[in-house]
Amino acid sequence: MAARTEHDERTDTSASPPPARRRVRHPVATAVSVFGELLITAGLVLALFVVYSLWWTNVLADREADRQGDTVRSKWADGPGALDTKDGIGFLHVPAMKNGEVLVKKGTDPKTLNNGIAGYYTDPVESALPWDDEGNFTLAAHRDGHGAKFHNIHKLKNGDPVVFETKDTWYVYKVYKTLPETSKFNVDVIQPVPEESGVKEPGRYITLTTCTPVYTSKYRYIVWGELERTEKVDKDRTIPAELR
Amino acid sequence: MYGWIWRHLPGNAWVRGIIALVLVLAVVYALFQYVFPWAEPLLPFGDVTVDGASAGGAGAGR
Repeated sequence: MAARTEHDERTDTSASPPPARRRVRHPVATAVSVFGELLITAGLVLALFVVYSLWWTNVLADREADRQGDTVRSKWADGPGALDTKDGIGFLHVPAMKNGEVLVKKGTDPKTLNNGIAGYYTDPVESALPWDDEGNFTLAAHRDGHGAKFHNIHKLKNGDPVVFETKDTWYVYKVYKTLPETSKFNVDVIQPVPEESGVKEPGRYITLTTCTPVYTSKYRYIVWGELERTEKVDKDRTIPAELR
Repeated sequence: MYGWIWRHLPGNAWVRGIIALVLVLAVVYALFQYVFPWAEPLLPFGDVTVDGASAGGAGAGR
């Protein structure tokens, strides 16, 4: 009986105080509570930033890239004429990356690349263009966010085809060397003759650069290819064998 | 803080809930539309080139 009463009393004490405490709260308790809520808020904002970076920027960039790609294709369809490179010089097809076609435009500044496209270098080493007699066609694109066009760059192996499509020609490159990690200051990788990849002679090379490891920008991932052959675009834009 | 906001919203629990939801959506919209695009270039997550110059202003060797 005595134990029973004690138990009842304890139940009472644990049930009644909270409302009382809520009514008259100590200032320190209020401060701690506000601080805690701010921390929770900061955590939620950071989580939202991740959603923004990895999902929303892709949505925006893919939309923009589709729009710009359509512009280029409709201009191409308007019949022959001078190669207009202002809206983009062509499309990169890398079957191993499974990312469809990537529009390529001039420049590697964030404004350009954030539209879900790949850019060819103008600085610090000027890129050659695929139709040049020799040189290195150097490209950069995002690994994550903003279209993430080079997300699967690590799937590329030696011998994989990298095809660049212009208005009138398919340029078929073959990957011959990959460099999974290098410093972002290593501009040697985009030299006209990229000796770091093991070649010594001038030739027609392609270099893909993006950041690595995924979700960070600590290092750069490099893939080199060499032109194997070119193919004229026919009336139906029949895709070359490498893309079938 | 959130308790204070909740107590100062008008109406019954349903009305308050709807107003609170609208406020949350407004904040998320402001973050996605203005705050994150502003903050992103300041953070070193999106640099893909080897010039090194876009990475927080650190100059490349050349």
